[in-house]
Amino acid sequence: MGADLEGVLAEQRFAPGAGANPARPAVDTDSIDTDIDTDIDIARMVRRRHARLQAEMANQDVEVAILLHRPHVTYATGHPVHGVDATHAVWERPVAVVTAGGDRSHLLAGDIESQPATPPEVQRHPAVWPELGSAMPALADALAAIAGPLAGRRVALDEQTGAMLRAGLLDGATVVDASHLVASAKIVKTADELACIALAQRRNEIAMRAAQQALRPGVRRSTVAGAFLSALHEALHEPGGANLIDPIFQPVPRSVTDGPRTTTGTVAFPTGVGDPVFAEGDLVWVDSGIDHLGYASDFGRTWVVGRDPTPAEQSLFSRWCAVMTAVLDVLRPGVTAGDLCHAATTANDGERPWLPYFYLAHGVGIESAEMPLVGTDLGAAFDDGLVLAPGMVLVLEPVVWREGVGGYRAEEIVAVTDDGWCHLGGGYPYAPFEAAA
Amino acid sequence: VTAPGTNTQSASPGSDDAALRSERRTRVFEAMDRAMLDVLVLGRRDAVAYATGARSLWTAGTRPPGPACVLVGDRRASHVLSTWDAGVPPEIPFEHLYGVTWNPAILAASLQAIPGFVDAGRIGVDALSPGVERLLARLCPSATIVPADDLLVGIRARKLPAEIERVRTATAVAAAAVDAATAALNAHAGHATAQAAAIRTAAARSVTVPSSGVTVRRGGAWGTFGVDVGLLVDGYEGGLGRTVGTTPGGEADESVATQRRLVEACRPGATAADLRADASGTARWMVRGSGMGFEPPVITTVLGDGVRLAEDMVLSVEVDVAGFMRRDLVAVTAGAPEIMTP
Repeated sequence: MGADLEGVLAEQRFAPGAGANPARPAVDTDSIDTDIDTDIDIARMVRRRHARLQAEMANQDVEVAILLHRPHVTYATGHPVHGVDATHAVWERPVAVVTAGGDRSHLLAGDIESQPATPPEVQRHPAVWPELGSAMPALADALAAIAGPLAGRRVALDEQTGAMLRAGLLDGATVVDASHLVASAKIVKTADELACIALAQRRNEIAMRAAQQALRPGVRRSTVAGAFLSALHEALHEPGGANLIDPIFQPVPRSVTDGPRTTTGTVAFPTGVGDPVFAEGDLVWVDSGIDHLGYASDFGRTWVVGRDPTPAEQSLFSRWCAVMTAVLDVLRPGVTAGDLCHAATTANDGERPWLPYFYLAHGVGIESAEMPLVGTDLGAAFDDGLVLAPGMVLVLEPVVWREGVGGYRAEEIVAVTDDGWCHLGGGYPYAPFEAAA
Repeated sequence: VTAPGTNTQSASPGSDDAALRSERRTRVFEAMDRAMLDVLVLGRRDAVAYATGARSLWTAGTRPPGPACVLVGDRRASHVLSTWDAGVPPEIPFEHLYGVTWNPAILAASLQAIPGFVDAGRIGVDALSPGVERLLARLCPSATIVPADDLLVGIRARKLPAEIERVRTATAVAAAAVDAATAALNAHAGHATAQAAAIRTAAARSVTVPSSGVTVRRGGAWGTFGVDVGLLVDGYEGGLGRTVGTTPGGEADESVATQRRLVEACRPGATAADLRADASGTARWMVRGSGMGFEPPVITTVLGDGVRLAEDMVLSVEVDVAGFMRRDLVAVTAGAPEIMTP
């Protein structure tokens, strides 16, 4: 993959000092590297994903795959992502069908004229309405026309709606989990996919400038979120960049006992509720994600409202940098997730520097968190068995917490290369924190 | 500067919401009794929010089916997948929360610990994946698993007065956003700037969560734009769509007149055939339910056979004639339909 990547992404090293600018204003907007060669070939990307799905269907002995989950549909067909609520996504959802040995995937979706051109690698069909009982005969006909009768065959499926269950659409078929199919196909990314993630990340970072500039004492979370969301559309001047998550600007407590109460007895993040007014000195954990051509970004930083970090707060960041550096020093093909966990924990005096209900790192792609998951409650045996390979993507998100002081959390996206890793982010500054010289 | 009005995303659902939550919850448990369901397992955001009142981080798109909440009928107990109590209503005790996990064995143990779960005879689900089906079959070997999405559709279709009030509040925010986009377009701003103005206006009212979102696209004639806003406020959808920059006459007027006829047709007892008769001659239209987002019924030129409109439904009525679009939310009443747009 290294050769594939060449020319798409420049090799970078983690250098937290490079972007940080101790001078005011807090954000040095010129220091983000926005110059990325976006030579993304959509048709090639769709073709390669189709080939991977076909290979996995052969591996897993699947004759027909019926995909309803939005990221799966996008993976199979390139159908664009809309930043709409779950209810709209469910009721107006497109469906993808892939048949073993088929040269093209099939997309059943509405609004043909308003969609960007579908690659010739995908066969279009009229929309079906999998939630509607009255639409089941049409869905059954469409499936039969594409794949033939389903009874007696091995069919991979990710979701059955109530209407599908009542209609018995899969009666007589051997149904297996299509998420295993997609999970195996997607874990190693192609250069086009990496470029999509990198571009989403740069755009996310550009819009974050507006949010960081809006963050002041007396301002509400929603106003800062509004600055980010409007900048996504206004500053970028082009369609796409669907927002995937209500952007998080959450003031974190100084002490876990300040609440909210959690099942793990640790700090709660991201709760996604409340619209607090920021006060000077608030420690704000920031998290957001947007889409580019079906691929998610993941932005994370910690900001301080209206003042510089105290020495104690700054020491949290110094420790976070030490953890990050320790992890990246060992990251290369062949190491395990367990190796990364060990490096991070060692750099944090033996204490695991991440949220116990999440992870030290997670993959990103068509889902904002996907395999490889590093340091989850799947346990040490799982981590030790997960071997990293070129083309895998990791969002590293260590958290350094000190009871009474608070916590520092930030995220960086890297891809595993043939001999190490490369950065998919643009080097967004860590201000107002300063990297140790 | 924060605009007055909706304090929409309060951290803890307030006591003013308690009555509405209680009414919804009662509806759900009574419907479970009628359907003889011992347990209801829900995964969809809107279904969980309706049944429990729990709020969580908004994310776009579909989520895989899974046990985001578990309702146990005879105990009238609600158990919610949440690692923290933020956003969880006070009537759900902390002990009824089970934390987010990546480990199916831990999830299984959490579900097994829910009193009344493993001995359930009939379990309803709002959707099913092969993985969840296997999990339920293993944990509850004597249970019959049945689709129960229709049970929720049945009770949610007719809105409570407090729900209609929330749709009205949400639509007022959406209308302000449409006004902001319109003002920007009238000042010759581009569509991205207009979109940004709408987003900032909603955010100034504490609303940053879309249902269908903010769209600004070129309209049916040069210099016209279609502006549509769909937002979630306190979990309820408000929305409307307008074509900006039209001059009198032609297809623009036809769009307005057709949408008005469709709105007027939204009365108790009306069928898809009735609406189709009123929509004659227009290229594209949709009448669909609205509440905690997109809801059934769905009526178009080809969908909706068998649907009969009823009092207290809230409907989104959208018409597009050659690029001239118009959309409103409408409450079906015993008399004339009420347009929710202020």
